[in-house]
Amino acid sequence: MGKFPTSLRSAVSSSQLKISSSLVPAESPSPMPKRKPASSTRSWPSSKSPKTQNSNDSSKPPNSLPPFKSPDLSDAKKLFNSIVTTSRGAPLDLRFHNSLLQSYASISTANDSISFLRHMIKTHPTFSPDRLTYHILLAQSCKGDDSTLAPVHQALNLMVTNGVNPDKVTTDIAVRSLCSVDRIEDAVELVKELSLKHSVPDTYTYNFLVRQLCKFRALSTVHNFIDEMRSSFSVKPDLVTYTILIDNVCNSKNLREATRLLGVLTEEGLKPDCFLYNTIMKGYCMVSKGSEVIEVYKKMKENGVEPDLVTYNTLIFGLSKSGRAKEARKYLKVMVEMGHFPDVVTYTSLMNGLCREGDALGAFALLEEMEARGCSPNSCTYNTLLYGFCKSRFLEKGIELYRSMKEDGMKFETASYAALVRTLCRHGKIAEAYEVFDFAVESKSLTDVAAFSTLESALKGLKKAREQGRVV
Amino acid sequence: MLPQRMKQVITDNPKKLANLIDLVNLPTPLREFMGRSQTSRLGCFMRVWSYIKEHNLQDPNNKNVVNCDQKLRSILLGKPQVELAELPSLIKLHFPKKTS
Repeated sequence: MGKFPTSLRSAVSSSQLKISSSLVPAESPSPMPKRKPASSTRSWPSSKSPKTQNSNDSSKPPNSLPPFKSPDLSDAKKLFNSIVTTSRGAPLDLRFHNSLLQSYASISTANDSISFLRHMIKTHPTFSPDRLTYHILLAQSCKGDDSTLAPVHQALNLMVTNGVNPDKVTTDIAVRSLCSVDRIEDAVELVKELSLKHSVPDTYTYNFLVRQLCKFRALSTVHNFIDEMRSSFSVKPDLVTYTILIDNVCNSKNLREATRLLGVLTEEGLKPDCFLYNTIMKGYCMVSKGSEVIEVYKKMKENGVEPDLVTYNTLIFGLSKSGRAKEARKYLKVMVEMGHFPDVVTYTSLMNGLCREGDALGAFALLEEMEARGCSPNSCTYNTLLYGFCKSRFLEKGIELYRSMKEDGMKFETASYAALVRTLCRHGKIAEAYEVFDFAVESKSLTDVAAFSTLESALKGLKKAREQGRVV
Repeated sequence: MLPQRMKQVITDNPKKLANLIDLVNLPTPLREFMGRSQTSRLGCFMRVWSYIKEHNLQDPNNKNVVNCDQKLRSILLGKPQVELAELPSLIKLHFPKKTS
């Protein structure tokens, strides 16, 4: 590290991160740190003395001036020259140049950045661009307005002609940059091309792309991509890939496909881990299939995979959701015996189950139990209980709970708010309902519109009930 | 009346949402009360409700009833007393359905 002016330290540390990640790509799940363009060099003042600047500039508000204010190339060159001439004595090394380049790249176009790089090389012959320098250009070229891959190719060609061969990190940076601007197809295209010419993507890039495809594209596209990577470049999906795929189909409630995938991955000699089982279990929870949830749990045990806290939480959640709170309770005991500490999620799920069965008092007792164990409830817990109380007509307790929520500054969820407002209206406590409405708006729990619509429809319901003589 | 249905009403029914938040040219009495010529139904409700709170117009014996002052009477059909429960529907009278 050595002697850098304090103002540059953040620039150094952030570029350091990038450099080290380019050296050991396989160990870093995301070789490209989240780029906040210009933030690394934001400390560099456009005035003369860098040393007067505060060193912890990463926390600075974005309104502090970046060195480059206009995307105009000649302005940037001038500024560069003035920085160079005024900061004599400060080491003008590779990182410094890279920081400047990144700062300029964040506000200009790909072509201008390349010209700027040439200018820097010309004025400072000692500066020889390294991999990171080209990665900066590459990341920028991916985010440009051009909808073709031409600028990306330009950056890659520049790299190759200067003797830096694109590696796995290059691929990763390009893929993530392209995906960040919704150009997944281009990213796929580029991955194939780079695999052909240079190197295949590492597992992180590959899985990242699979996840993106799962999220935003049709399932067939995902499978096409996986098949093609397998047949052309013998890049095989690993356990993480399968977990992503299974999670994806579970989210769309396609459990049959999940089971099929499970078979496929076992055939390939992969062994499901705890995480994968949890994912499948979650899938069954989403469709409220309690028996299958237990089935997964048993299978897990059979295969010698030790369930973790998430497993138990999912299990209890699933059973509660499918109306089997009693069994859920049993597993709460099991989990404690296995040495796991039930957390707020566990208890809230169980409370939810009890409330569903109309046992709001039982849920309330559970609150005491959890607090006795030193586990403090969160706003979700309170909302669950509040909803339960309102539904099982313990309005008084509900109001009490609402007061303590208000004191603790907790927020409403839509369901519990609506339940409370409706119950209050039904009991003729209109003023209280208005007060709850005020709190919901003040605490920004809901939008004004949602809060008001609920209140209005509750009052409308009350009017109807009165007309029909159901309520006095 | 389920919350899910509530959500659906809001998301699936842009018209209903629109008639809550679209700015509307106000009739004269309301214009005087609001001090402006345009507002949405939601904005109007919020203004009236905060007016009631500011001036302590809720009946001290029965909080569900509002004793209207002169200004409030001018926009709520001239009633001396209104129930809080009917407030939204009374305000809705000033915002007739669009005929289009």
